Order: sequence, then C-alpha cells, then structure tokens
Amino acid sequence: MQQQDWNALSDDEFRGIFREWVDANCPSHLRFMRKQRPVFDEVAEWYHALAEKGWLSPVWPQEHGGMGLDAAKHIVYVEEWARLGCPRIPDHGIGLTGPLLIEFGTDEQKANFLPKILSGEHVWCQGYSEPNAGSDLASLRTSAVSDGDDYIVNGQKIWTTLAHCANWILLLVRTTKDDNKRQNGITVMLVDMTTPGVVVRPIANLRGEADFCEVFFENVRVPAKNVVGAVDQGWALAKSVLGHERIFLGAPSRPEYALKRLEMLAEDRGAFDDPAFRSRYARLLLDLNDLGSAFEKFAKILREGGQLGAEVSVLKIFCSELYQRITEETLAVAGEEARYYDDLPVGDNEVDAMNLYLDSRAPTIFGGSNEIQRNILAKAVLRLP
Amino acid sequence: MPLISLDDDDNTLGMLRESANALAERIDGAQVMRSRRAGKSDLDRSVWTAMAEAGWLGLLLPEELGGLQLGSRELVVLCESLGRGLLTEPYVQLAVFSGALLMGADHGANTSALAGGLVDGSRIVTTLWQTERGARAELKATEKDGEVLLNGCAGLVSAAQSASDYLVLAQSDGDSVLVHLPADTGGIGVSLRASVDDAQLGSVDLDGCSVPSGNVLARGHKVETALVRAIETNRLAIAAELAGIASKALEATVDYTRERIQFGKPIASFQAIQHRLVDMWSDAEFACSAVTDATEKLGEPDSAAASQAVLAAKARAGDAAIGITRRAIQLHGAMGFTDECDIGLYMKRAINLNATLGQPEELRLQYLATERAA
Ligand SMILES: Cc1cc2nc3c(=O)[nH]c(=O)nc-3n(C[C@H](O)[C@H](O)[C@H](O)COP(=O)(O)OP(=O)(O)OC[C@H]3O[C@@H](n4cnc5c(N)ncnc54)[C@H](O)[C@@H]3O)c2cc1C
Repeated sequence: MQQQDWNALSDDEFRGIFREWVDANCPSHLRFMRKQRPVFDEVAEWYHALAEKGWLSPVWPQEHGGMGLDAAKHIVYVEEWARLGCPRIPDHGIGLTGPLLIEFGTDEQKANFLPKILSGEHVWCQGYSEPNAGSDLASLRTSAVSDGDDYIVNGQKIWTTLAHCANWILLLVRTTKDDNKRQNGITVMLVDMTTPGVVVRPIANLRGEADFCEVFFENVRVPAKNVVGAVDQGWALAKSVLGHERIFLGAPSRPEYALKRLEMLAEDRGAFDDPAFRSRYARLLLDLNDLGSAFEKFAKILREGGQLGAEVSVLKIFCSELYQRITEETLAVAGEEARYYDDLPVGDNEVDAMNLYLDSRAPTIFGGSNEIQRNILAKAVLRLP
Repeated sequence: MPLISLDDDDNTLGMLRESANALAERIDGAQVMRSRRAGKSDLDRSVWTAMAEAGWLGLLLPEELGGLQLGSRELVVLCESLGRGLLTEPYVQLAVFSGALLMGADHGANTSALAGGLVDGSRIVTTLWQTERGARAELKATEKDGEVLLNGCAGLVSAAQSASDYLVLAQSDGDSVLVHLPADTGGIGVSLRASVDDAQLGSVDLDGCSVPSGNVLARGHKVETALVRAIETNRLAIAAELAGIASKALEATVDYTRERIQFGKPIASFQAIQHRLVDMWSDAEFACSAVTDATEKLGEPDSAAASQAVLAAKARAGDAAIGITRRAIQLHGAMGFTDECDIGLYMKRAINLNATLGQPEELRLQYLATERAA
C-alpha cells in the first residue's frame, strides 16, 4: 500500500488527518472501554480497519507496511488515539515482535512474519517474566537446547499478557549458563504456541479478569530458524527495542481519564462545595498538567532527533503514582459508596470508581516496577555510589 | 506483629482470641470470598452457622436475650481476629448493629424471639436505615387500625437477600420507630449490587408493607439512643477488624519479601523495601494503640471522651489498613495483582470497612467538631 510521507507534514496537519479518520472509523461501542486489555476478537473490527487503511503500525517503515512515523508523529498518533478513547488492541506484534524483526530479523523472518502481524493472523504475546525472574529478568531459566535443526524448550513463563488469545510468543530463553554474567547466554526466539507441549493457563487479576497467563513449555520443538539475532546475545536485543517508546510509559492518558471520572463523580455528589476537596482536586489537576509539561520536554528531545536518556523513567514513576492518587481520591469522594464493586451511577452515566482504583495498582508494578525505576535514576542520573 | 493489647487478668480475651483463630484456621476466608463472589451471594451460611455455634452472634446481647453479655473488650478482640482471619461475613452489620438495636428496644416477646434467632443463627436480622449513598434513609411508617404500613427505599443493606427479618428504622408522624418486618411480607423488593469485598449490598424497596402494630419494637428517644449506640459500637468493631487486617497484611508482606529472591537476595534485604515495611509496621502499631485506647475509654465514665476516641480509632485504623494493603500489593509484585493471592482480598475488605460508617476524613472532622463544641 502506497502511503504518503507523513513526516513531511507538520504535526498539526498530521493530527488533523489522523483524528478525522480515526473518529469516523473507530466503532463507537469500542470507545473508552472499561476493559484495559480486550482480547483480539473483541476489537478485531478496529484492528482490521486500521490494517486496511495501513495505519495499524505507526513506526514500522513503509516498505514493511507501516506508516513510517518519526517519534514526533508517533506521539501525535498515541495522543489522538487516547483522546478519542480507542481501545487498546493486542499490540505485542506491532510494538514488540515487529520492531525487533525489522531491526534484527533475517529477510526470511521479515517476509514471513510481518505481513501476518498486519493481517491479524498472528497474535503475539511477550514471554519474558518467569516465576523467579521478575525484576531480576536476567535470572530467567526457561531453557532451549539445540537438537539438530531445532531447539527443545522447557520451562515456564508467567504474567504473559493476553497469552490466552495469542498464537505466537516472543520468548526469552537461556541457551547458555554463565554464572559470572547472567545477561550472557540469553536468546530471543519466535515460538508458535500451537506447537505440542505449550500449555496456557490464564490467571485472574484483581478485577477478576483473566488478562495475563502462565505459559508452560514441555519439550517444545522450535526450529532454529526462529531464533532472532545471534544465539546467546538476546539480552541486548530485547533491551534495545524499547527505545523512544519508553516515553509512552509516562503518557498521561490513564490519569487524565481517571481525573475526568473523578470530576464527574465530584460534581454529581457535590464535593466541589467542600474547600478541602477543591484544594486536593486542584493539586491533582496541576499534577496532571505538570506531567503534560514534563512529557512535552521529553517529546521535544525526540522531535529534535535526540535520544531519550535514563531520565525518562521519571515520567513513568510520576504518571503511575498520580494515577493511583486520583483513583484513591475518587474512592474518598465516593464516601460510603466506596463499598460497591459495581460502577457508581452519575446522572445517566456511570463512573467506574473501583475498576479504576484496582486497575491503577498495576502500572507501578509492570514495565519495570517503580522501585526498579528509582534504582535506575539513582545510578544512571544521580550517579549515586 | 502489632496486636490490640488489653488487660486480661483472667485470660478471657486470650481464650476468645484462641477460639477465633481456631475457626479462622478451619475456614479459608479467602476461598469463602471467592466462592461468595462466584455465587453472587450475600452471606455464607456455613461460616455464619460456625459463628453462631461459637456464640459470637450474641456476644454483646444480655443474657435475658440469649446473649453472652460481654462487652467492648471482647468485641474488639474478636473483630481483630476476624480481620486477621479474613472472615468477612457481615458480623458487624447483623450481630453488632442489629443486635445493638434489639438491645435498645423494648424487651417484649417479639424482640426476644428475634434476638434468640439472631443468636442461634436461625434468623438473619438486618437493618434498613441508610440510603444507597449512606445517608439516613427516609422510611415512612403509617400506623392505623392495629397495623403499620411501611414505605420507602433503603440501601447498603447487608445480607438483604438472605435476611429472614428486617429491622426498619422509620418515621411515624415525626417520631422514630423501630419496626420488625419479616422478609416474607408482601411488597418488599430487593435488588443487589456487588460489594468490593465479594459480597452483595442490597437496595430494599418497601411498597406498602403491612405488619401488625405489635411489630413496633421501640419508639421515640429510645430508637435514636439505640441507633447512636449501634453506630458507635459498630465503628469500634470495624476499627478493630481494620487493625487486624492491617497487622495481618503487614505480616504476610514481611513473610513474602523475606522469601522472595531477586538479584540473588531476599527482596526484604533491600533498604528501600525495609523502610517501607517499617513504615507499615508503624502504621499498624498506631492503629492497634488507637483501638486499644478507644476500648479502654469505653469502660470509663466519660462517654464523650470515649465517643471521640472511637472516631479517632476508626479513622486511624482505616488509614492504616488501606495504606498497608496498598503497599503490600506493590511489594508482592505482579503476584499482588492477582485474585489468587490473598493479599488483594485483604485490600478489598479494608476498602469496604474503611468506607463503612464514615471514611477517615469525615470521622476526623466529626472529632474536631465535638472537640470545638466542648
Ligand atoms: C498487569 C501486568 C502485566 C504484565 N504483563 C507481562 C507480559 O506481558 N510479559 C512479561 O514478560 N511480563 C509481564 N508482567 C510482569 C512484569 O514485568 C513483572 O511483574 C515485573 O517485572 C516485576 O516482577 P515481579 O512481579 O516478579 O516482582 P518482583 O521482582 O518479585 O518484585 C516484588 C517487589 O520487590 C521490589 N523490588 C524488586 N527488586 C528490587 C530492588 N532491587 N530494589 C528495590 N525493590 C525491589 C519490586 O519493585 C516489587 O515491589 C506483567 C505484570 C503485570 C502486573
């Protein structure tokens, strides 16, 4: 599909074009979904509509079927997506496997896998964490042993988001044991989840939704041609794909949405008459604005063609903690209604106070927990001894 | 780990604690919550029966009403254990709240029968008095020709579906009345909404429900006095349960972080985590002392000071339980975000209790108002 050079447009021009089409084409029943992580079938029509338009994959180069957006335009894409309340689509193929293959994959891998991500034939999940390898990912133990043209994989992954609706998993495995440097000997491979020996067990989260899973591997045969990059060198590969996308861990969309819900509830329940509440609300509002400014500061670096440093972790910490403070305040405003699990009626609408409160528990844990982010800032930014 | 500590010369409290802990051992409270949620149920009968058999449902009721005639000291020790053991049936709403109203009613045949059923578990007695948002409900009683007609809407009703009997706090000609309404009376409509702690909260619609005038259990000043007492006793009981949750959630997190190895060490060996755990411990410690203080003050003559101490204790214990369970989830990592790990259930229970009968800020403001008025 021939696409224009989006990066030649001004951000505002691009924003206008993107917004107009998305607003006209994203089905209204999928907007502002309660569920954070809908499964593929729930959002398939939106996925296919984007694919058909050629807009499913914002950063892939156009030769691979992406839009080829630079970081600045990508930010616009993400902002408008959030503003219009489009649902999250299963995006591990687009955001993780795709970029990895484009950078490190063989021509055959690219030709084979990229189109199937765009068509939705392959739905990917991310198999990194293990029961004993969370924050300390390098201690992972799922093993892959060479056997002729194949590898034999044994072990277990956990917290694998949407594994139950995926058919391919991007797997980090141990191919060599090196006790001195555990980052050595890790390999990235592409694994077909329909291979015999792969078993998926969904895990219910705090909201009762099964959106992450355990994935077990028992003598699973993986063709050696499914290894990405060099054997034993997977750690650097896996770490490198995040790149400028780390900025999005601090994108203000979740707290922004939550603050709107707080405002709706507070208005309906008369909380704005209370000066103590007004003061707390004003703080949250300004926190959100200031998060926007900080986000903008990093976005500007990208716009000017720069690279993000370790500092960007500050966005993730502030954003996820602000999200929690907003949902906590929402429960305070709910008063005795904070006893309900179900959404709270507000005029003809509903505010999902508890849903948001529970949801806000996760972002301080995933994507590198906030403690780990603080460790990184302490070392890499403040250079503490 | 922090506990509510009261003088216990004859070891009655110790024995009570032991029997509560024994029951909590026998019953997997977390599993009960999950199956209650799956069945959309508002009460687990088997746990309720076990509580009845242990004599707890009549803990505060006088002997003439079939109770054990024990006091606040025993109540807080029991509720603390319920909190620790995650036994989340609506003990405070039914046994303590409805119980307190019956204690304050005229002790006629009707009251005795209700109290007897409440104590032995054969009756589920819940009270209609709040709106869906927690204000005082406007329920109307019309008395004429030997009958009472009840109208209005109540919310936040525990065990609304399971109830065999409702106590209705209504207004009759500008006068408060406490009316016994059997659940099989015509004109009652019950709808349920899930509560955060995996039970159901009911809204109960009364549409011209008719009962004989003998069902008026108390009226006027008596009703209001009983209500004030019921609220205060409930707040104390809830504060104790919250303190139990706070302390148990801390304990579970200390255990977990000692065992969880990352980077070749127990994560509890990282100072960032140690400081967090120490702060949690300190919060639990303060919660337990505040509840201890309120309980002791209730045994002293100055009732105003006691009332204030109860407000303070519930605010303190609520903040502690909420803050501790939140941090506990964080320290459990992704495990804490699952339904399989019990720590999330402690958080959910804490949210419900913290929001019941006043969140901390409201209670502190009430405390201040009383203080300034004095
Ligand atoms: C909703 C959700 C979705 C997820 N999806 C995926 C997925 O799709 N694929 C995948 O591979 N993984 C996924 N994860 C896993 C996620 O990456 C891990 O949860 C994360 O790496 C933390 O690991 P852990 O849960 O084992 O916690 P642990 O590492 O055990 O940490 C427990 C606690 O200790 C703290 N801690 C650990 N080390 C230190 C230290 N050195 N200093 C101070 N504090 C420390 C942590 O911050 C945390 O509070 C998901 C997690 C969640 C919650």
